[in-house]
Amino acid sequence: MGTTLKRIGIILLVSGMLALVANLVHPRRIPWVQSWSNHVEAKARKAEIRVIPFSVALQKFQTSEVVFMDARPAGEFEAGHISGAVSMPFQSLEEQFPMIGNLINSGKELVVYCSNRECDDSLVLATELKAMGAENLTLYIDGFEVWQKYGGATASSPAGP
Amino acid sequence: MTRDQKIYRVAYWMACFIFASILLSGYHKILYPADFALSVYRFHLLPDGLVNISSLYFQWLEMVCGFCLLFVPKFRMAALWITLILLLVFTGAIGINLMRGTAFSCGCFSNAPDALPMSGTSIVRNAVLVLLAVLAMVSARKSR
Repeated sequence: MGTTLKRIGIILLVSGMLALVANLVHPRRIPWVQSWSNHVEAKARKAEIRVIPFSVALQKFQTSEVVFMDARPAGEFEAGHISGAVSMPFQSLEEQFPMIGNLINSGKELVVYCSNRECDDSLVLATELKAMGAENLTLYIDGFEVWQKYGGATASSPAGP
Repeated sequence: MTRDQKIYRVAYWMACFIFASILLSGYHKILYPADFALSVYRFHLLPDGLVNISSLYFQWLEMVCGFCLLFVPKFRMAALWITLILLLVFTGAIGINLMRGTAFSCGCFSNAPDALPMSGTSIVRNAVLVLLAVLAMVSARKSR
C-alpha cells in the first residue's frame, strides 16, 4: 500500500506539472483564476432565471408549448433567427407591451436568446419579462450562433407569430 | 500461474484498457480548456477562484492516469485508485446537480453545446464504472 501511495503521489505531482506547463504554452490558454460571476450565465442564475444550453433548447423547440423570443436588434433578427421566434429587441420593449402581455398570459414557456454566451441582451429582456410577471421563463444561453452552427431550424425575415 | 490467476490477470488488463480508453478520450478537454472550465463552473460546487485551476488539473490527471493504465504497468494500481476516487467525486457532483435540476451536460465525454444534459443515466454509467474499477483491483490482487 505504501508503494501505491507513493505512486499516487507521483501521478498527482506529474499531472500538476503538466497542467502548469501546458497552460503556459497552450494557444488557447485560460487564466488560472477567473471571475465567473461576471458571466451572463452567473448573472441569470443570481436573478433566478432558468438557463439552458443548445441541447435542451432544441428539445423544447420540438414541442409547441414554447415561444422563442429574440432579443437581438431587429436588423440581426431579419438576417436570420430561430424558426418561429418573435423579435423582441429590449430597446423597443415598450412598443410591444400588448404582445408581451399576450405571450405571458398564453401560459407558454418563454425562451429568450441573443447572439452567443457573451451577449447580455437576452438577460436584460428576461429580467424585464420577469418584472412584468412572466414566470415560465428560460434563457437559452448559447444563442443564435450555436443554434445555426449545430443545425437548428432557422428562418429569415419576417418576424414570427 | 494457475488458470484462475490467468483469468483474473486478463480481466485486470481488460478493465485497465477500458479505463484508459475512457480517460484518454477526454483529450478534447485539453484541446479546449475554456470549454471544460465552463463545464466545471456549471457544477456550481467550487468557488470562482478554483474553477479554472481544478479544470486544468483534472484534465491532465485523467490523461496521466489513462497513460499509466495503458503503458506503465508499475503505476496501474495507483492510476486505478485515482480513477476510482475521481469517479466517486464526479458521481457525487452529478447527483447534487441532478437534485438541483441542472439542464447542462457534465462535460464528461464532450464539451459541445449539443451534448445531452446530465441525467440518471450518467449516475448509472458511473456506478458501473465504479464497479469495474473495484473489480479490476480485486482481479489484480487475485492474479498474484
